[in-house]
Amino acid sequence: MRYGRGIWAITASVVLATALSGARATDAKFPDWEGQWARTEGAQFDPSKPPGLPQKPPLTAEYQAIWEAYLRESDAGGQNYNPQARCIPGGMPRMMIAYQPLEFIVTPATTFVVVSGRNEFRRIYTDGRDWPHNVAPSLSGYSIGHWSDDGGDGRYTMLEAETRNFRGPRLIDASGIPLDQDNQTVVKERIHLDKADANVLRDDITVVDNALTRPWTVTRSYHRVRNPTWVEDVCDEGNQWVFIGGETYMRGPGGLLMPTAKDEPPPDLKYFKKPEAPPKAQAQ
Amino acid sequence: MHRASAIRIAALAGVLIAATIHAGAAGDMTYPDWEGQWLRIGGGGGLDPAKPAGRAQQPPFTPEYQAIWEAHLADSQAGGQRYNPQIHCLPSGMPRMMMAYDPMEVVVTPNTTYVQLTYDNEFRRIYTDGRDWPADMEPSFAGYSIGKWIDQGGSGRYDVLEVETRGLRGPRVFDGLGTPMHEDNQTIIKERIGLDKSDPNVLHNEITTIDHAFTRPWTITRSYSRDRHQLWVENICHVSNQYRIIGDDTFMVSMDGYLMPLRKGQRPPDLRYFDQSEK
Repeated sequence: MRYGRGIWAITASVVLATALSGARATDAKFPDWEGQWARTEGAQFDPSKPPGLPQKPPLTAEYQAIWEAYLRESDAGGQNYNPQARCIPGGMPRMMIAYQPLEFIVTPATTFVVVSGRNEFRRIYTDGRDWPHNVAPSLSGYSIGHWSDDGGDGRYTMLEAETRNFRGPRLIDASGIPLDQDNQTVVKERIHLDKADANVLRDDITVVDNALTRPWTVTRSYHRVRNPTWVEDVCDEGNQWVFIGGETYMRGPGGLLMPTAKDEPPPDLKYFKKPEAPPKAQAQ
Repeated sequence: MHRASAIRIAALAGVLIAATIHAGAAGDMTYPDWEGQWLRIGGGGGLDPAKPAGRAQQPPFTPEYQAIWEAHLADSQAGGQRYNPQIHCLPSGMPRMMMAYDPMEVVVTPNTTYVQLTYDNEFRRIYTDGRDWPADMEPSFAGYSIGKWIDQGGSGRYDVLEVETRGLRGPRVFDGLGTPMHEDNQTIIKERIGLDKSDPNVLHNEITTIDHAFTRPWTITRSYSRDRHQLWVENICHVSNQYRIIGDDTFMVSMDGYLMPLRKGQRPPDLRYFDQSEK
């Protein structure tokens, strides 16, 4: 009898413990990445180095020359090289600079990444799928991720993502660090909380691209705000640039076009009807 | 005795295991399955898909806003689109974004339901964590949305999301024909979102707009059909946008890269800031 009660109690305890453990595992399997993640560093791609030439991206000679041409254009006031000046999204990997704060929405099958303000959006599929054959290339690419538990406690700590299937135009940052026009970029990421500070998220980003002589790895970091306010940032409203053909102009007072460089010609108005010439004064 | 104990043990284990499975499922079962890609059913010409686009929509306008709308319709017929924020790649905002020009994804989490529109990445957060309206609401095109889950069918599973959206800013119109909202941006939008009772692959959104441009609330229902085999195609307005705003007027850029008029007789832009002296 006692033996039977003992078995009952032990069995009940084991089943209950299993039940609770199972419930906990469901909740605790994925890391807590809720909140708003604001970048902690500058907007150059490698935050450990100053912007511009000190970034030293491992560009091929051909793409180094292209970058230097962009830098000269930028110095002269032009932005024709920069898709974001036209309000075209940064795409990957530039969007992970997080000009505006990020939100990570972690679900078992997909982790969604929203770059607030202009709402750039990524889906990182973690459902075990393979690369698709029929998806249109995009600026943010197609991302497949894999969760891993490097702490061995049954809770995922690291999201490893690989992103392919790009389209252009994309740059690595605002200085114009270029990517190869073939859009064969592969971006690998390791996203994880800082081990000493759960309010710091790291993204180790490796860019593999034919414009580079070797993979380029940087680490970007973001700081968590728990009860955030999200602010909309509509690119076109604050956008001072106007692009017509291959020329960059600015909006001046009254929204009128202004040149961005000395002696820049105005746009060609050949499709407008020419104003009629004033009638010639009649001889008296 | 042993047999009785074994039966009791087995019974208890069975009950506990069943309870465990139920508890585990309850976590998943609390919220409805709205996963997938939702494509609009009905046209995108007017907010109310039950009526043809244009005047047949019969929004309950005040005389003042009926006149504003008539002016927009006249502008549209003359080839203009100045009333339409979307041609300048501004977000549609609420409620127009729920027309879902391109497919939509709804991500349900306990505290927030996210709505992502493929068209130009419009994005909404519907907070379902019991919060109240914030005192310092920053106005936005999508507004600030607070939702409440309802178990209408009494099945123990939520089936309707009731949402109220405030904190809006402009410029916003209801549709591509310039059906206007009041410039005071005091619009309130109430939604009841739920799956069709007979077809779980159809989502309905009953949208009621309360606005000072109206004499009474305007209620319409938009519906979406589910595609489980999601293929998302990016659609970024600025990639293909050929419109340019210069001063108070709107122009186009031709395929060969020249500025061109948008309507007959349109004057060219004022180029006073350029040095046009003969050299």
